[in-house]
Formats: sequence, C-alpha cells, structure tokens
Amino acid sequence: MKFEKRRATTKQEIPTTSMPDIVFMLLMFFMTVTTMREVDVLVSFKLPEAKAIEKIENKRLISYLWVGKDKRIQINDSIVKMNDVEPIMYAKRQALPEIIVSLRVDQSVDMGFVTDIQQSLRKAYCLRLNYSAMIKV
Amino acid sequence: MIKKRKIPNAEIPTASQADLAFLLLLFFLVSTVIDVDTGLGLTLPEYIPPEEQVEVKVDPNRMASVLVNENGDVLIDGNVVPVYQIKDLLKARIAAKNEAPKNKKMIVSLKTDRKTIYNIYIAALDQIKLAFFEVRDEYSNAKFGKKYADLDEEKQGIVKEAVPIIISLAEPEIVKK
Repeated sequence: MKFEKRRATTKQEIPTTSMPDIVFMLLMFFMTVTTMREVDVLVSFKLPEAKAIEKIENKRLISYLWVGKDKRIQINDSIVKMNDVEPIMYAKRQALPEIIVSLRVDQSVDMGFVTDIQQSLRKAYCLRLNYSAMIKV
Repeated sequence: MIKKRKIPNAEIPTASQADLAFLLLLFFLVSTVIDVDTGLGLTLPEYIPPEEQVEVKVDPNRMASVLVNENGDVLIDGNVVPVYQIKDLLKARIAAKNEAPKNKKMIVSLKTDRKTIYNIYIAALDQIKLAFFEVRDEYSNAKFGKKYADLDEEKQGIVKEAVPIIISLAEPEIVKK
C-alpha cells in the first residue's frame, strides 16, 4: 500500500491585497483624532495628581492658563504679567461667555499666587475653573 | 514588414502603496497627542467688592471647615488630621445630610494659607470631591442599585439634589502677605 502525504490543497499565503485598505483606515482614524498643538508652552510645569477627576465635556470652551515653576503666567502664546490677566480674560469671556479656564499650575507654586489669579479671574467673570491634574493611580 | 506594436503595460504598480500608507500612518501616530483635559472642576463665586460683602451666618452644623496651613497640616473643625483622612471624615457628615432639606445640606469650606503649596491644596480638594462622589455613589446604590455614573439623567438629577456638591472656597484674607 502506498502512503501519500496529505497536503492541504488550499493556498497558504495570506492575501495582502487589502492591507493598504486596512492601513488607510487606521491612517484616517489617526488623522481625524490628531490635533496639532496650537500653542507652544513656554513655561515648565508639573501637574499635580488627583483621583476625583472629571473630563471636560466641551473642548471648544476651554482656555488654558499656565503657571510655571518660576511663577510666570502664560496665556495664549505669550507670557503675561499678573495685572494683565484680568483684561485678557475679560476679553476672552466676552468672546465666549461659557468659557472654562483650565489652570495648568505647577505643583510647587504657593496658593497666594494661585489665589491672586483666581481673584483676577473672578473680576473678569471667568467663573468656571478646572484645575488640570493627572490621574493618580 | 510592420510589426504589431505591443501595448505597453499601463498599470501603476501598487505593491508599494502599503509602504506609503504605513509611512503616513507612522507620521500621524508619532505626532498625535491625545490630550488629556482632565482635572478638578470648580465654579468660582462672583466677585463682590469688599465693601459690599455681607456676612451670612451659617448654621455650624452644616458646615465643615477644612484648613490647610503652610506646612501642609490639615485642620478639620479644630482637629489635626492627615490629608488622606479628609475623605473618610467628611463622608459620614455629608451622608448624614442626605435627607435634609435643600437649604440644610453640607457645606465644605476649604481655606488655605498664602504659603500653602498648590499640590497639597489639590490633594485636599481632591479628597473633598472624592468624599462627595462616594456619598453620591452610595446614595444611588441604595436607592437605584446602580452607581451614579450609570444612572440616566433624570435619576442623576435626583441624586444630585440629595447630595449637592457645595464647596466653598473661603474668601482669601485681604492682602495678608
């Protein structure tokens, strides 16, 4: 009796013709998700950590305010003085009444400084705040 | 003799298309910053000039004052406690007011020194918020058998009404440097 090795008659190659399509799909996803960074952050800061974190539901309303280690304040693209915070934020609020100010403050800044900023924000009627923080694990 | 002209192959080679797409994909992968816009939300009170401020007496029963000094020591109603215990201490007091009428809910007041480090302030605020969130979760668990986040909007409203988050940032003492 003659034994014959049984061989699969099907092709063994994985069809790669649709690979570009899959890659393009991925590409499309990343293209839509990507937001190019609009502003250069000029101050160095390390955010504090917190657990009771909420997501900001509407990104369009957010306006950032950075405070660096060296207590420099940055709004938009430039470093500003404490006295300028109020007029700038007031103008921003007039353009966008529902504005949420996201405070990206370095961990080591003292509260007196943050309070001063908060007071200027209150005077500028920017009352919705968000203390930016990383998720604590 | 006229040779029959051979029609040249007019196809664009597509074998390298995948490579091209991968290149683009890599670029976008690298340049993507999925921005984390997370943080502790808060609404500031409206600014009132000092001369127009009126003092409102609040029933001390519905008030828990959290003080954080410049060394990071926390004082709740006169007792020194570690930062991570704020949550547990407040939870019981907040939960006790669940059935209280609307104007008798718990107020947590947070006050810091000018020299307090921001990090500790956030840690304290985080603890206070966690306390409120956990009370909300427990309340909704008891009432609807679900966590607060899984409730529909209408039921969330009920829980919100029972456990409102009232955090008062104490008016900073005027220029105390």
